[in-house]
Amino acid sequence: MSSLDRSAGAFRTRAIEALGDEHLQLALDAATGRLRDARLGAWQELDAVEDLRERGREARSRAIANLDRNVKLFTERVTSRGGHVYRCADATEGRARIATICRQANARLVAKSKSMVTEEIELNAALEADGMAVIETDLGEYILQLAGEHPAHIVVPAIEKTAADVAILLAGVDGEAVEPVLEQLTAKARRQLREVFLNADVGVTGANFAVADTGSICIVSNEGNARLVSSLPRVHIVVLGLERFVETTQDLAVCLQLLGRSATGQRLTTYTTLITGPRRTGEEDGPLELHVVILDNGRSSLRGTRYEEMLNCIRCGACLNVCPIYRKSGGGAYGPVYSGPLGAVLVPLLAHAPDLPHASSLCGACTEACPVKIPLHDYLLELRHDHGEPSLIERACFILWSFAWSNPTLYRLSTALVRLGQPVATLTAKRWTSGRALPRLVRRYRD
Amino acid sequence: MHRGSINRGLTAASGDARRAESYYIGFMNRFNNAPPIRPRVQLFATCLGDLVFPRAVADAVSLLEAAGFAVDFPRGQVCCGQPAFNAGHRGAAARVARTFVRAFSRDTPIIAPSGSCVAMVAHQLPKLLGVAGYEIFELSSFLAANDFVPIRCNTGVVVSYHDSCHMARDLGVRDAPRILLEASGAVVQPLPRADLCCGFGGTFAIRHPEISVAMADDKLQGSAPTLVSADPGCLLQLGGRSSRTNGVRAVHLATALARGAT
Repeated sequence: MSSLDRSAGAFRTRAIEALGDEHLQLALDAATGRLRDARLGAWQELDAVEDLRERGREARSRAIANLDRNVKLFTERVTSRGGHVYRCADATEGRARIATICRQANARLVAKSKSMVTEEIELNAALEADGMAVIETDLGEYILQLAGEHPAHIVVPAIEKTAADVAILLAGVDGEAVEPVLEQLTAKARRQLREVFLNADVGVTGANFAVADTGSICIVSNEGNARLVSSLPRVHIVVLGLERFVETTQDLAVCLQLLGRSATGQRLTTYTTLITGPRRTGEEDGPLELHVVILDNGRSSLRGTRYEEMLNCIRCGACLNVCPIYRKSGGGAYGPVYSGPLGAVLVPLLAHAPDLPHASSLCGACTEACPVKIPLHDYLLELRHDHGEPSLIERACFILWSFAWSNPTLYRLSTALVRLGQPVATLTAKRWTSGRALPRLVRRYRD
Repeated sequence: MHRGSINRGLTAASGDARRAESYYIGFMNRFNNAPPIRPRVQLFATCLGDLVFPRAVADAVSLLEAAGFAVDFPRGQVCCGQPAFNAGHRGAAARVARTFVRAFSRDTPIIAPSGSCVAMVAHQLPKLLGVAGYEIFELSSFLAANDFVPIRCNTGVVVSYHDSCHMARDLGVRDAPRILLEASGAVVQPLPRADLCCGFGGTFAIRHPEISVAMADDKLQGSAPTLVSADPGCLLQLGGRSSRTNGVRAVHLATALARGAT
C-alpha cells in the first residue's frame, strides 16, 4: 500500500465535492488561467521556444538513458567533497534512511522546504512518530500543514486557500489574530518561520535537478526558504527522485530556462541555489553534513518502456494549468501528491490508480504545454489500455457493441433497434441525461 | 499566414499530392469544352454523423459538390472504432475499425465532417490494424485548400466557433473553419478560453458527467447565440447541454456553410 494508491471511484467523488465549492471553482479558474497566461507570455519572449523545448527534451532523455552512469558519477563527486549519497528502493527504505540520519544528528526540530518526494513517502508522519517536530517552510506548504491538508498544485500548493483561511490558520499558531491582508499574513508567517530556521537541527529539501558531472544539487524557489533550510541547520538532507538528474551544467541551464518560464512565467525564479558538498574547511557557514537520498519508488520500472519519457518531467506544473479537468476537479481529486495530467500519468505507473488515466478528455492541452514535450495525452490513452481495469459490464458492453458494428448489416439492425428503444435509452442513460438532452434519432443519413 | 496553417493541417493528413492533382484537373477543365471531369472523393459520414447529424452529412455532400467534386458514399462504412479505442478497449476498437478498411478505397481522398474521426483514422487506425495510412481530410480544411468559396448565407450573422480539440491540436486545423465562416458573411465572435475542451471526450462524458457538464456550461456561457463546430461529438455535448440551459444553438459547420447558421 503506497501513499499514491487511489481506489476506484475516488476521483469522481472528490471532483463532485470540488464542483460544489463555488469559491474553489473561482480560485482554480483564476490561478490556472493566470499561470497559463504567464507561461505563454514567457514562452513568447523566447526567439525559438520550440528549439529550447527540443533541447530540454533531449537533455532530459539523455540523462535518463545514462542514468546509471549519472548516478555513479554524481555519487563520486558528492562523496569526494565529504557528502553522503544513499539510493533507496522504496518509501519504507527512504523513510528509514532519513529517520536514521535525523536520529544520529539528535534532531528535535526538522525544517523542510518544499519537496514532493517527501510527500510521496509520507516523511513528515514518520519523523513525527519518531518524536521529532517537522515544520514546512514553503509558505504554501506551511499553510497546508497547519490545515492538515495536502498540496493541491505542484507549484502553488495552497492554490485553493483564501487570505481569510490563511489568517485563521496563522493565528492558530501563536494565538494572535491577523488581518487577512497579504502583507500582514506574509510578515506573520515570516516571524513564525524565522524561529524554525534558526532552531532547526536538520534541514530537509527536495531538489529540482542534480547535476551529475559536478555533483551539485539545484533548488529553485521564490521565497528563499530553501536557502535557509539548506544552510542554517547543522545537517542538510536532500531527497530526490531517481529521475532528477541532468548530465552537465549546460543541460541544467537549458532546463532552468524552461522551468521558471513554464511554471510561473519567470525567466528565472527569485533564488536559484546550487549546492556542491557540505561546509568546507575554512568556511564559516553551511551545514556540517550533507546527505543525499535518491529515491526510486517504482521509477526505474519505467525505464526501457514506452512510458520512459515520463521520467523527463521537470515538475513545472504547466500541464495542470491548461488542463480543463484539473481546472474543475482541483488537485485533491487526484490524491494527496501528484495531480493534473502529470499525476494522472505518473501515479498509475508508480502505484495502483486505475481511475486516473480516465480523468481526462484526451484534449491534448497538456502535451501542447509540456516544456519537455512529454506526450502526456498519448500516455493517458496507452494507460487506459494497459492499466484501465474496466469493469466486467464495461468490457461486455464494448465487446457486444463491437460485434454489432462489425459489419454494415448488423449496424443497420442494431441502430434501428436503438431508435425503437429510445424511450428506454433515456431512462438507462442517466449519466448522460442527468445534465444533457439525448438527441432524437430520426433517420440515418444512409437511408 | 492563414494559408500556411491550412497547409500544415493538410500535410498532417498527407494530402499534398492529391491536392496538386485536383488543382491540375481544375486547370485542365478550363481548357476543355468537354464536360468537366469531376474529381471523386469518398465521404466518411462517421457514426455520429450518420445517426445523429444526418442533415450535416447531407450538407457536407452539397458543399463538396459545389466545390466541384463527385462524392461517393461507400455503403460498407460504419465507424472508425474511436469510442472503444479511446476507452482503452483495443480489441473492440479493431473489430469496428476493420469495417473502415473494408469500406474505403485508397484511390480517392476520404473526407469526413468530423475532425476527431479524421484524427483517429489518420493517426491511430493504421497503427491499431497494422495497415498503410489513409489520405483523409477534415471537410473544412479540404474545402479551404481547394479554394472553395461558400455562398453568402450568413451575412451579418454573429456566431462563435468552437475548436474541437482533436481537430485543432492533432490535425492543426484552426483557421479553415473560421475563414470559411467569414467568407459566408458570418461575424465570428471569439470564445473566451477557446483552448478549453467542451467536456465531451467520448466515454469521459459518461464516466465523469459532473465535470463534463460543468465544462460544457463554461463553453456555452461565453458563446454567441449560435455556436458552430465541426465535430459531431462536441455538438452532441454542447447541444445536449444547451437545450437544458441557455438555448445556444449548436450547429455543424457544414450546415452553417451550406444553408446558413441560423
